[in-house]
Amino acid sequence: MTVEAAALDQWYTIGAINDFAPGVSTRRLLGHDLTITRTRDSFAVDNLPVRTDYGHLWTTLGAPQRPLFDIPESREPDRRAVYCGAVRVRASGLRLIENFLDLAHFPYVHTDILGIEDKPEVARYEVEQRRDVDELWATKCEFFQPRAAASAEGGQMSKYTYRVTTPFNVMLYKTPPSAPDRWDVIALFVQPVEPNLSIAHPYMLVIDDVSTEAELIGFQQMIFLQDKIVLENQRPLLLPLQPGRETPTRADLSSVVYRRWLKEKALTYGTEARTDLA
Amino acid sequence: MWIPIALSRDVPAATTRAVILDGMELVVWRGETGPVQIWEDRCPHRGMRLSFGFVRGNSLNCLYHGWQYGEGASCERIPAHPDLVVPPTIKANAYASTETGGMIWVNLPATDGPPPVFLAGRPIASLAIAAPAQTIIDSLGQPAAEAQLVETKLDGISLNIGWHSPGTDRTMLHVVALDPGNVESKALIALHQLRASAERTGP
Amino acid sequence: MLKLHDYVLSPEAYTVRLMLALLATPYERIAVDAYPGGAEVPVLEDGATILRDPGLILTYLVHGRAPHWLPAEHAAEISRWLAFAALELSALNAARGVTVLGQPGDLDALQIKARLALRHFEDHLTRRSFDDKDFVVGGLPSIADIALFPAVALSHDCGIGLEDYPAIHLWQRRVRSLPRFVGMPGIPDYF
Repeated sequence: MTVEAAALDQWYTIGAINDFAPGVSTRRLLGHDLTITRTRDSFAVDNLPVRTDYGHLWTTLGAPQRPLFDIPESREPDRRAVYCGAVRVRASGLRLIENFLDLAHFPYVHTDILGIEDKPEVARYEVEQRRDVDELWATKCEFFQPRAAASAEGGQMSKYTYRVTTPFNVMLYKTPPSAPDRWDVIALFVQPVEPNLSIAHPYMLVIDDVSTEAELIGFQQMIFLQDKIVLENQRPLLLPLQPGRETPTRADLSSVVYRRWLKEKALTYGTEARTDLA
Repeated sequence: MWIPIALSRDVPAATTRAVILDGMELVVWRGETGPVQIWEDRCPHRGMRLSFGFVRGNSLNCLYHGWQYGEGASCERIPAHPDLVVPPTIKANAYASTETGGMIWVNLPATDGPPPVFLAGRPIASLAIAAPAQTIIDSLGQPAAEAQLVETKLDGISLNIGWHSPGTDRTMLHVVALDPGNVESKALIALHQLRASAERTGP
Repeated sequence: MLKLHDYVLSPEAYTVRLMLALLATPYERIAVDAYPGGAEVPVLEDGATILRDPGLILTYLVHGRAPHWLPAEHAAEISRWLAFAALELSALNAARGVTVLGQPGDLDALQIKARLALRHFEDHLTRRSFDDKDFVVGGLPSIADIALFPAVALSHDCGIGLEDYPAIHLWQRRVRSLPRFVGMPGIPDYF
């Protein structure tokens, strides 16, 4: 299967640094098998470009027009970087990103943690396409959360900002329970293995000196595995870009702008074949 | 074509059940009261399978965002927008259904014929068999003309056996005993023998 | 106070969490990272007593506390179902390790083994339904139901739906309806 430039010319993670044993190992990306050679702290991925950032190994099968996106918070010394373990999901990676951007599912999928059934309303928020950096930002997002983080003791009106840096990489900024003037960063790096098979690599940069590492990891894995049942049971598994195939409402503004952005890029990997195109 | 896809007993009030018919995913569900309903297993909002949803009163709610659908498959409520009057165009895809002879039937592909009528009996089991329907049914007798059902005797017990095919070389039998008395255990043993024999023969 | 070394994604650890919740027994939860290669879960500590086997832990928990979960007249049958959960049915958990966590394993072989186990269980529950019995043994839920539930309710994680198993589908709904039931990721609160 040939992969279009829009998907090839991107940086992708193929795993957490710590998960690569010294020597040779293999991973799969966009339907291509890759051979990774680790020698102490240096990596080779076939003859492809390599980056080691944010605790992960990154590569590309194409020629990205931009360097790997920057996460300035990764340089703040008081943050804890938490790698949460890879989870395989039988769904398009684009579905994973779109679900990550979704607020309205909190009461039903993350019940009594990120939302409660009594407060399901999604208030108006804003989404902009920042053309200078080619990123999507959703701002002024608010949602009532009974247990917003591993260290949360009670409910709070959580404020969220979302940042989509590439079609398969996304992060959110969220008010931590302990430091209302700072933002926790929770990222989801998606490794598209096949159009309908993905590996999710959740990664956090948090302000939390209360929770243990196992508690932080457990919390994030719990959230992610709650999403998995939805992602694997959406039909189609691939993201539909054809108008009328699904029914967005105002709460789905992020998704609407995300899909428009993908169309503008002519990205098709992990999307449903369209019949509305000439 | 009217096709039996489940036993009535197996879809009690306020439950959902997923059924696959020739590769098509269906949700069969029942409200706390009211008739059984059969829809495409897909919420029009984001494509989530509705069989993972939950029944409250006489509505089926999608697990993903709680969109609520009532009788007639119309969306009645979108929780993210509590004040929104939902446009009537937002509907799940519903199929005609009926219940007779202890089984739940769907009219798919839709035909003009009236729903079939069969005698009630004692439900035995829905049984998944890894073999094509044709080989199983041929060994049982002549099916009814207008419906996917054969009346037969196994081990001396009179049974109505309906069937549907979830996919290639796979069959789900829906079996109801017509005899009075405690014949269930005996009928089940006979069905297990039928299953073993069909799976030995293979496609 | 009981201490449970727990990992949120482990079906075996969840078996214990579920039993403790149903018994309304307080315990201290110690989160450990049991992601492949990590620590082993569950581990139940009760003073000097340390238990690791889920079936043994269930037996230990209800002993003296809530004996109706393990009625003496059904003890032999219950222990057979505990063994079934630990052996045959554990193919579902192993298959889930492959599909979810990328652990090594022959997925096709595990799925075939898992489907055989599910069929055996389905046939049992179908026979039970002829006597209007809702649970695995006797007339009430027992630790056999709790030992069997997690792998069955998570079967979708390894690509096996319950479409072929209507009796199991109804049984797992009944377990989820028990008072004080708690779910886990992959077993939603709504059903």
